[in-house]
Amino acid sequence: MKVLGILLGCSLAVFAAGETILIRDADVYPVNGKETKAVSILIQDGKIADIGPKITAPKGTRIVEAKGMRVYPGMIDSGTELGLEEVEAVRETVDVGELGEFMPQLRALSAVNPDSEHFGVVRVNGITSAMTFPSSGGRGGGGFGGGERQLISGQAALIHTDGWTWEEMAIRRCAAMSVMFPSMGGGGRRGGAPDLLEVTPGGAGAAGNARRAYDEQIAKLNDFFENARRYQKAKAAKLPGLQTDLKYEAMIPVLEGKVPVTVSAARPNTIHDAIQWAKKQNVKLVVMQPREIGKAGAELKAENVPVIFGRVLALPSGEDSSYDEAFTLPAEAYKAGVKFAFGTFTNEFVRNIPYQAATAVGFGLPYEEALKAVTINPAQIWGVSDQIGSVEKGKIADLMVTDGDPLEIQTQIKHLYVMGKEVALANKQTRLNDRYSGRN
Amino acid sequence: MKLATALLLFAACVFAAEPSTVAVRNARIVTVSGPVIAKGTVVVRNGLIEAVGENVTIPEDAFIVEGEGLTVYPGLIDSLSTVGFANAAASTAAAGGRGGRGAQTAVATAAAPRSMGPEDRPQTTSWESAADEISASDSRIPAVRSAGVTTAATFPTRGIFGGQGSIIDLISGEKPGEMVVVPTIGQYISVGRGGFGGGGGGGGYPGSLMGYIAYVRQVYLDADHYKMAMAAWDKDPRSMERPMYDRALEGVLASKRILLPANREVEIDRMLRFAAELKQPAILYGGHEAYKPEAAELLKKSNMSMLVSLRWPELPRGEIDPDNEPTMRALETIHKAPAAGAALQKAGVKFAFYTDGIDQPRELQRAVKRAIDAGLSREDAIRAMTLTPAEIYGVADRMGSIEKGKIGNLVVTRGDLFDDRAQVLWVIVDGRQYKPETGGQGNGRGPATEQPGNPGGNR
Amino acid sequence: MKRLLLAGLMALAPICAETIVIQNATIMTVTKGTIKNGSVVVRDGKIVEVGEKVMIPEGATKIDAQGQYVIPGIIDCHSHIAGDGGINEGSVSVSSMVNIKDIINPEDIAIYRALAGGVTTANILHGSANSIGGQTIVLKMRWGKDAQSMIFEGAKPGIKFALGENPKRAGNPQGRGANGQQPFARYPATRMGVEDTIREAFNEAKIYKAEWDEYNAKAARGEHPMPPRKDLKLEALKEVLEGNRYVHIHCYRADEILMMIRVADDMGFKVRTFQHVLEGYKVAKEIAAHGAGASTFSDWWSYKMEAFDAIPYNAALMTKAGVVVSLNSDDAELMRHLNSEAGKTMKYGGMTEDQALAMVTLNPAKQLGIDNRVGSIEAGKDADLVIYDKYPLSDFAKVQKVLIDGTVYFDRDKEVSAQAAKDAEKQKLLDKLKQESQQPGNGRGRGRGGN
Repeated sequence: MKVLGILLGCSLAVFAAGETILIRDADVYPVNGKETKAVSILIQDGKIADIGPKITAPKGTRIVEAKGMRVYPGMIDSGTELGLEEVEAVRETVDVGELGEFMPQLRALSAVNPDSEHFGVVRVNGITSAMTFPSSGGRGGGGFGGGERQLISGQAALIHTDGWTWEEMAIRRCAAMSVMFPSMGGGGRRGGAPDLLEVTPGGAGAAGNARRAYDEQIAKLNDFFENARRYQKAKAAKLPGLQTDLKYEAMIPVLEGKVPVTVSAARPNTIHDAIQWAKKQNVKLVVMQPREIGKAGAELKAENVPVIFGRVLALPSGEDSSYDEAFTLPAEAYKAGVKFAFGTFTNEFVRNIPYQAATAVGFGLPYEEALKAVTINPAQIWGVSDQIGSVEKGKIADLMVTDGDPLEIQTQIKHLYVMGKEVALANKQTRLNDRYSGRN
Repeated sequence: MKLATALLLFAACVFAAEPSTVAVRNARIVTVSGPVIAKGTVVVRNGLIEAVGENVTIPEDAFIVEGEGLTVYPGLIDSLSTVGFANAAASTAAAGGRGGRGAQTAVATAAAPRSMGPEDRPQTTSWESAADEISASDSRIPAVRSAGVTTAATFPTRGIFGGQGSIIDLISGEKPGEMVVVPTIGQYISVGRGGFGGGGGGGGYPGSLMGYIAYVRQVYLDADHYKMAMAAWDKDPRSMERPMYDRALEGVLASKRILLPANREVEIDRMLRFAAELKQPAILYGGHEAYKPEAAELLKKSNMSMLVSLRWPELPRGEIDPDNEPTMRALETIHKAPAAGAALQKAGVKFAFYTDGIDQPRELQRAVKRAIDAGLSREDAIRAMTLTPAEIYGVADRMGSIEKGKIGNLVVTRGDLFDDRAQVLWVIVDGRQYKPETGGQGNGRGPATEQPGNPGGNR
Repeated sequence: MKRLLLAGLMALAPICAETIVIQNATIMTVTKGTIKNGSVVVRDGKIVEVGEKVMIPEGATKIDAQGQYVIPGIIDCHSHIAGDGGINEGSVSVSSMVNIKDIINPEDIAIYRALAGGVTTANILHGSANSIGGQTIVLKMRWGKDAQSMIFEGAKPGIKFALGENPKRAGNPQGRGANGQQPFARYPATRMGVEDTIREAFNEAKIYKAEWDEYNAKAARGEHPMPPRKDLKLEALKEVLEGNRYVHIHCYRADEILMMIRVADDMGFKVRTFQHVLEGYKVAKEIAAHGAGASTFSDWWSYKMEAFDAIPYNAALMTKAGVVVSLNSDDAELMRHLNSEAGKTMKYGGMTEDQALAMVTLNPAKQLGIDNRVGSIEAGKDADLVIYDKYPLSDFAKVQKVLIDGTVYFDRDKEVSAQAAKDAEKQKLLDKLKQESQQPGNGRGRGRGGN
């Protein structure tokens, strides 16, 4: 908390001399309340200073005429590798998936390249902050092959999509501890079920091995947490001769319940196992990328465990699953009373997160819930709802000004504000467009 | 004579006496070609059936099997087998049920240079003939024989063009030539595993299913051209450059029919069209989805015969990973595959069973029994392992039923063949008498001959 | 061949209504504007009338599409679904002898899912492992039919080439091969080699063609020469030279696109379409001059080095330069929402609604030479139609019904209501089979040597 306070203080200090902006006459969609037509928003010192129909702006305020436009909170993607991966196929540009079995001390934040082309690209469509994971998509353990199976991947950070340095971009240095929860069997192997029309003499027995491997992994994970707890106690008791252990140090906020553990769990039984495990370990849990909710819905709600959906536009998990399995999942979660947010889990698709949300709406999710799932819900899940996620006085001015519904494809972002600063909507792609428009 | 018989009875051994005269007396005789004889006698002399009927005189020198309460059937014909290849047994056991192709291909490709196209005749040994390669000392012969199989249509199954199969009688002897009934009966073709993403990995061309098909197509084009060129050169050798001798094409041209793999209905459809395109008489083997009326219909329309594998698909053992459940399509096939016989019978399609590596009597019985339980009559099941395979290979004039003049291959059982409690008591092959071993060699699940078709991956 | 029907369930077999009229919908014809409240009459598999007021034939099945939208069936110009046993013959760099037509798998669930996403026709291509890949085919998504019945009758056959990183990857193998030896490196390993590979192949094809031309000429004169050996690999390239086979070329970078245009010019054939062509905007002029179409992604980028300069304005820029542009999927998932992908060209590049919709309907139809039959809602064309519940160029919309040749192949309501029963049926069968496999001596157990 202290660290966060210092950080915020630092950033505020830098922007104390920031612009004062008045967005005038827009229709504001705050998310935490009903929309209001034709109001103005005053941005000062990086924050939303005032919202109202008539605001007198101080001298030197830049006026942005926004009549007929809409203001929304900037969108939040809860599952990315932004800044950590540039070109997926080129290993040198990929900084997720470190080696090592237990690596809680790894920090995604300080490996973020603030000049990654991806930031410019995603901002254009209204994404102002994102969770960036040290091993998003489950590619831990030396993602490109090598090393043993990874169980704890490191600290995911919540960052703004604009800033001179990763320090300035940081909203929460350690917003989540990424854990690779063991899963039985294939665990989401591509290509699905083996073709049983092939004779497989003595084929499985593999399933028995899978069970054993699973139990072993869980045992290892629990042992590690146990040791971390002992370290925590020893430190609290100020035991003499205790040597600093960076791994266990990193675990302390998790054990204290300040930082949640994220775990990928595709099926109801895995979700159940993960929830039970988290209870036993007395840690907060966030379930990532479920493919099926089913009976786990009740338990998720009862235990207040939120869920981050992977791309809604995804294929069903099996040949016999309903064709719209992934499309209807968010609606199902909503009906079960489960809190959720969206994540795209691929840098390339971050800018399309509003359309993932729109698809969920098409298949049964109420519109307001979809919008919340890319704004206030992730803010709450990642513990920063006092700072971002809605258009409210006092919050950080992460805003998008649009010419329509941001979940609609044809809508354009007209202005984007990150930490109260207007961010130019140019990026590598707009520049190439401009350049080559001149040729043809 | 009594001493000789006594010795024989005590023998309980693999090797039988030289062909002599055998008579099975007072047994129920299922001739297959005609009505069942409730109580009759079969006499086999010099390897041929000399007489069969209710009132048959038994020659003085006959070894008599008292058939009271027993049943005599024609010896079973395994319509697609690798039994007889001594080397195959060892290496296929190592490859663990993936067919003779597995280990041998690995060896072959390690030695052979990488194939860069169809001209390199990859994975082709079309000139080979099983008759040239078999060995009477293959340890699977006695095992398979104990199940009542007297005859195998044995094929070399390595690669794409494996070579020509032969019909062999499963006698244990010293000279393999004695086993051969028909030296060449057709070319074995397989179209590989293909696999996701296709070739280019370890091996050379071809690596994908479409690659295999294109290769086979090219070979037949080349064979036509070769034939034309050879004939032209023969007619007028001074008019043209001498065509290059191509043993692969010679092998293909010498084959009177081809065997093509097809398990799924889609594959049956595909291979029927392919055979028609190649203008080759063909037999399909595999048949897991032959239970589908539509598949049977396709076979009927093309007038094509089907060899149906008795190795019915099964659920994988142990706990099923909920993330990796079998598809409904796979479950349906597991459930219904044994009904292939009934479906083909109903549609009027000529079909025969093959053991596909099953070499234990109990296993064989169970496998056929499942087909019977699924709607195939016992008579039709028996015919599918006797006269029909003989018809399919064009040797029904000399085997496949108990008729005077046909080869003396018989199975004597207590109980109805393929019943759970049936026992095979005697197996007579070419007139030689064998007593099945108790406890068997092999583990009941020998390696499958070949995995027809392919996984059906699409990326 | 019927799809697996489970007893007692509502049949999912296509409705083969002879005459259908879709009423009260917003009809986006693509070529003749959008009709706000109109109807489409379908008979014998064809569109017979489109308009605000239509003549409803007697006995017609009426589909009330009040508040809904109708567009032409979506055409995906780049797909790898519905193929058995691998879509790449990557062992050799020139695999023009292989043919997707030989491996059509009509049971691929991806067909059904594409259908449920509004796709009615797809161009099934060989993969991109080879400089010159295999022959391609156009299929209609007639779910439930057999392989031959899926083929788009009369569509000219094609062949797939590939440029850039993919076809040279096998020339730069990583790691060690089996037995720790040097792994086999397949030529080419660079873009220079890719060009050479293509030129060499066409050089060979020209020689082959000359042999056959000579033979044909002699035969026409009444002589009886020995025909040359038919070579399937060169035969396909000969067809390209004779203009009887479309060439679809996977490419990314501007330099390789230009290279290929010049190679085609030198060899005397036309590139039919450039596929992916993510840097097409840089050489749109040259592509337009050559007359090739371009089939690209709406906004994919950065997954490979050669995709790093990809921009979502690509489709618009090329369109403005006069290229016929379509959007494709190359992916079983993306295939399911090409309608909304099309919408993105309105956002990035300011395409109009009709221009955007054309990119997944009329334009791919033109590129595949089937626009006389599909690609727009006009009388006389095939009744390949998709009904959406909302504005189609959006992710809020979902497909309600899909017709191909006037037959309803997908009906969302029926599909949704049948799912629970399907699940139950499967569970029942799975339980039954599990139970059976556990019974001793039931014929399913594995023998353990004699008994």
